[in-house]
Amino acid sequence: MGIMQTDKTLPCNRLIFEVRRDAGLRARFLSDLDGLMTDYGLSDEERRALRNADLKRLGELGVHPYFLPQVARLFRSAKYNHNESDAAQLYASKMLNPTGSDANG
Amino acid sequence: MAEIVSVIALAHAPGATGWLDKAPPSQQNELRAGYARMAERFRAARPEIIVGIANDHLLNFRLDNIPDWCVGTAEHWHGPADWFRDWVNLPEYDVPGHRELARRIVRQSALKGFNLAFSDALEFDDNWSVPLHFLTPRHNVPLVPIHMNCVVPPLPAPRRCIEFGRVLSEVIRAWPSSTRVAIMATGGLSHDPGGPKYFAVDEEFDRWFLDLLARGDTERVLRDVTIERMIAAGDGGTVELLAWLVALGAAGGKAADPIFYVPSVELRCGMGGVDWNVAA
Repeated sequence: MGIMQTDKTLPCNRLIFEVRRDAGLRARFLSDLDGLMTDYGLSDEERRALRNADLKRLGELGVHPYFLPQVARLFRSAKYNHNESDAAQLYASKMLNPTGSDANG
Repeated sequence: MAEIVSVIALAHAPGATGWLDKAPPSQQNELRAGYARMAERFRAARPEIIVGIANDHLLNFRLDNIPDWCVGTAEHWHGPADWFRDWVNLPEYDVPGHRELARRIVRQSALKGFNLAFSDALEFDDNWSVPLHFLTPRHNVPLVPIHMNCVVPPLPAPRRCIEFGRVLSEVIRAWPSSTRVAIMATGGLSHDPGGPKYFAVDEEFDRWFLDLLARGDTERVLRDVTIERMIAAGDGGTVELLAWLVALGAAGGKAADPIFYVPSVELRCGMGGVDWNVAA
């Protein structure tokens, strides 16, 4: 976890980088995440973590820290992102108080 | 020759425009007053161009090819980038660039040991949108944006950042022009986007850092403000203060005037600003 542990070469980092810059990819992130992850060549582990918004696991895999709250915003909207917002609460639940990784999918 | 009339540094956290109403009223007032004092000093310096230095939040720097610094060379800029509009809660804006100065910075820095990337296509998020909203709300002062890598190792070392600031100020001052130029670093203070301290601020670190800048002791900054120390105060965010070190170098190591500081858990950031008061 943390910027020093970022894996620059991780396919998931490229996917998130590009999704934030492209409205078409953002629509696909919500409607066809599995297809998008296949196109970007994510590993099974990356796919499982991203599908479940398992932010802690994504960080452990080498996703850049900046992308973790952004993944929460991609799933739950970036608008009015105060500490009680859906996106901030998703971050809190997945990152700070994880109740065990979701093994499904 | 061009004149550097202002060197400042200030926080750019999106909550300042995106959800300030969620902060306690006293904190809202302090923050608005702080930015207003920064704006007042900035306007008094009558800058005709802003050379900005800020972290690229991995909006432009692709992970496969990350420069230390990238100078925006376009004649026109537009912000905020679409996905960030809702987040910063600011309307779209246009701001002029300044190709001549930007290209000069790239060319002349190359002769002084700095290999700067350059681009006509930088996207802006909170890094410019928030400070410009407070300092130049009409977006009428041309901006040369310099994006930098504060978050993907290897980071430019503090000494390198201060040296770049010194070179940047030399290059600007050697520009045969009567233009009044401001240098504006944005970012910091302590915050931890993507880390375990996302909902916390390291007030002790922030006050210590601001106090060091107020002493004008560059050697002590170099000794004590290490990347490790910044990371300990908030992994992915506090290291944005490397941009402030560029400004410190541009100010010639002068003592800074701390203008405001508000540790805001609601904005998830230590919010503050300093002015090196270079015209005095």
